[in-house]
Amino acid sequence: MNFKKSLIVFRKEFSELLRDRRTLFTTIILPVILYPLLFIGFSAIMSRQAGVIEKRGATIAYTDSLNQRDARSIAMRDSLLAKIKSLDYVTLIPCPKTVQQLYEEKEIQAVITISDSLTSSGLNTYKVYVQHDGSNERGQMVFSKIKTAVKDLEKEIVKQRLVDDRIDPEILSLVDVNPRDTSSSQKKIGMFLGMMMPYLVILLLVTGASTVAADLVAGEKERRTLETLLVSSASRQEIVIGKYLTIITMSMINVVINLISLSFSVRYLVAQTGLETSGVKMPVSAFLILLVAMLPLATLFSAILLSISTFSRNMKEARTYEQPIMMVSMMLGMVSFIPSIEFSNLLAMIPVINIALLFKAVMINEYTLAQLLITIFSTVLLDVVAIWITVKLFATESVLFRTEDDASLKSMRKSGKQFFTAQNGIIYFALALGALYYLGGKWQGKDLMSGLLKTQLWIILLPVLVTIRIFKQKPLEVLRLKLPKLKVILPVPFIALSATVLVSMVAQLINLIYPFPQEYMEQLGGLFKMDSRPWVLFLVVALTPGICEEVLFRGFLFRFFERYGGTKAIIISAALFAVFHLDPFRLLPVFLLGLLLGYLTYRSRSLISSMLSHTINNALAIFLVTYSSKPWLKPLMYGEDEIRYWLAIPALLVLVFSLRWFHSVTKSDMEISECAE
Amino acid sequence: MIQVDSLVKEFKKKDGSSFRAVDGVTFEAQNGEIVCLLGVNGAGKTTIMRILSTVFNPQSGSALINGFDVITQGDKVRGSLGFLSGDTGLYARLTPREFIRYFGRLYGVEDKDIESRMLEMATLLEMHDFLDKKIEFLSSGMKQKVSIVRSIIHDPQVMIFDEPTAGLDILSARHIVSFIRSCKDKGKCVLFSTHIMREAERLADKIVLIHRGKVLTQGSLEALREVSGMIDLDDIFVYYVNQTNEEHEVQAHEF
Repeated sequence: MNFKKSLIVFRKEFSELLRDRRTLFTTIILPVILYPLLFIGFSAIMSRQAGVIEKRGATIAYTDSLNQRDARSIAMRDSLLAKIKSLDYVTLIPCPKTVQQLYEEKEIQAVITISDSLTSSGLNTYKVYVQHDGSNERGQMVFSKIKTAVKDLEKEIVKQRLVDDRIDPEILSLVDVNPRDTSSSQKKIGMFLGMMMPYLVILLLVTGASTVAADLVAGEKERRTLETLLVSSASRQEIVIGKYLTIITMSMINVVINLISLSFSVRYLVAQTGLETSGVKMPVSAFLILLVAMLPLATLFSAILLSISTFSRNMKEARTYEQPIMMVSMMLGMVSFIPSIEFSNLLAMIPVINIALLFKAVMINEYTLAQLLITIFSTVLLDVVAIWITVKLFATESVLFRTEDDASLKSMRKSGKQFFTAQNGIIYFALALGALYYLGGKWQGKDLMSGLLKTQLWIILLPVLVTIRIFKQKPLEVLRLKLPKLKVILPVPFIALSATVLVSMVAQLINLIYPFPQEYMEQLGGLFKMDSRPWVLFLVVALTPGICEEVLFRGFLFRFFERYGGTKAIIISAALFAVFHLDPFRLLPVFLLGLLLGYLTYRSRSLISSMLSHTINNALAIFLVTYSSKPWLKPLMYGEDEIRYWLAIPALLVLVFSLRWFHSVTKSDMEISECAE
Repeated sequence: MIQVDSLVKEFKKKDGSSFRAVDGVTFEAQNGEIVCLLGVNGAGKTTIMRILSTVFNPQSGSALINGFDVITQGDKVRGSLGFLSGDTGLYARLTPREFIRYFGRLYGVEDKDIESRMLEMATLLEMHDFLDKKIEFLSSGMKQKVSIVRSIIHDPQVMIFDEPTAGLDILSARHIVSFIRSCKDKGKCVLFSTHIMREAERLADKIVLIHRGKVLTQGSLEALREVSGMIDLDDIFVYYVNQTNEEHEVQAHEF
């Protein structure tokens, strides 16, 4: 490994990128002009607009609907009107007959009506009704002007009356709440920046890296320059490192330029609006820490995006694969917006989230050295893995020379007119999802138990059978409904149990980071408590979904995507399965479960395996909720439905061993076809 | 020189089965000699050349470039090898000068040697007019000249040309052909692949007939003519292909 050659690659890539107008524009020019334009322009327009609206003035019509027409009431009305009349830029007119029409034609911006009423103790109170258009700025302005004026007048009059009755007006402010905020304005700004910055920085890092990453390897494949580079004296490692440095540099440049431009714009905005910021300074140390923490994150993103670029056949494909990475990292970055989240050592181990929370903690100066070190160490660790994978990928012929015309694609084109096409699959899924949303929701709203049963049978199971019948497919063959051998079924319960434990742990982790709303938890809990008889619960919540949902996802929908290869069909059917649950909080756990179920069916060629696994999974959930209060289950649980974390280790071991067991007793397609020969 | 012995390369297909792209290929190319790999598209020519240029690793067999092993001494192999193919792309945003300098540096050539060699070649190929224009504005002929200079900037002893004239117009193709000849004249060892019989006839000292990953036969054009009793290389090629097919048929009957 000769670092000098990596530098040669880096220098060339970098100078070439700087010549690319698109890259130059998005990473440098855009941020430099965007923020000033956004902030300065926006604030100028805003403040100008406010003045303009006020100066345009307002015409207000008034009516009175006084009940007591005594001198006192009339005097009150007059002083109210006089007060409003004295406002700047306001014209007060007596209510014409056509008031409603004028109001609708916007000749009049507000109509005020004064009325009064007599309380039981003989006091005359007044009401001022203000008819105005709250959706437009002028209406809002008029209303707030009137409100302030009336309230001012009220204060004066009450005060006067108290004086007249020889009562000290101070009685009005007998008890006053006086906040004494001990947080410095420094900390407040830190809090604000701590919320905004992580998201912004993560967003910028990943967008900065992604603008160049796709170009660097997938782009070279597309332009057919990669082979020339590979036959040069530089080794693959040297090339990868050179390109890797380029991405890191570009993403850091993107962040730095953005932040500089942003800070100048904010400063300008602060100076313009006269916000109190004296004495507020970001300590240099905070910025240094941010920079130190940002670098491993930049390297992580760069490595991930570089491996995507290496894997992709062309730029377009690379950009497609980049999308989910960007989405996920942005969502993880948003964690800093959650107000109550505590930055624990456990969270410091979770990538991206840890950096976001560290930023926040540094900004308000509440972080520990342990958190800093764990965050950096865990990110660097992940970095090393990611770079190692990239280097490996770069040395893998089948990845570097992935070509379009492989056998599976050819067979796909050949069978283009078949029923099981991806398009048809998506259409079917969309219809089922619509039925679930409208019909299923309605049924379950009426009665949960029967609603669930009806949903499973009429929306999930029946349409599949009908569709298969209509399109003259063979149901047993299409759905893989055949009994597997006993040796294939034996490992399944072990897989199901251990996987359930691990997947619920994933859900617990998500709950830790994005706490589920209380309401939601209750709803989910209610599912398991709707009937006290365990066998009824088992039937409705475990067995029926285990059969019906498997028929739809692993049996039917799976077939539509199988032509793209088994792996892709497993992933797509799992994704659809996750979406079908219409539940953002369980998206990931359900997806993971879907992957496992897909694998079980695909590998064993029998839907029975995943039906069994699915049923066991749901049954275990019922079991845990039903018996969570029993003392013998206590050592395994936190509270009602959280499994203790140490159980992850035995569960993982069982899962790995049972999966290997399952793998060894089943055969891949290739082995099957060899046997056939 | 190039020494290839019983080279085997298999690719995994998507369905898990494997496919032998190169199946026990053996041949040699001496310094000052032009050897042509001749075969139809998909015969395995490009795969062989990719193994020789260390882009692919073979499953078995060995190959030496200038005495260096392609598996264990990859960097030395690449350092003594010039590689050119008909459809290589260039970095559009660089100028030819920068492009050539980039590869020269990657090969570890001193900057002053890069400059002098580049100027020498630029004069030879009449490139001075566009040496500092961006490559994206160059014609395909100009680009091919840039590629030629790039491939020999480190003065390699062995030159490998993979379908060097594919996709080129007649004039550009002539540049390549005369460049290949000049390499031979300088005593370099040249291996080139083509599916165009005429090109092989005109250039090659030795022809290696490749079909379905296997060497059908090899020798000078004269030797091939003598054995097959045919004049035209097209006919010779068909003759050998048929011969192996017959063998297959015989084998099939025996079973």
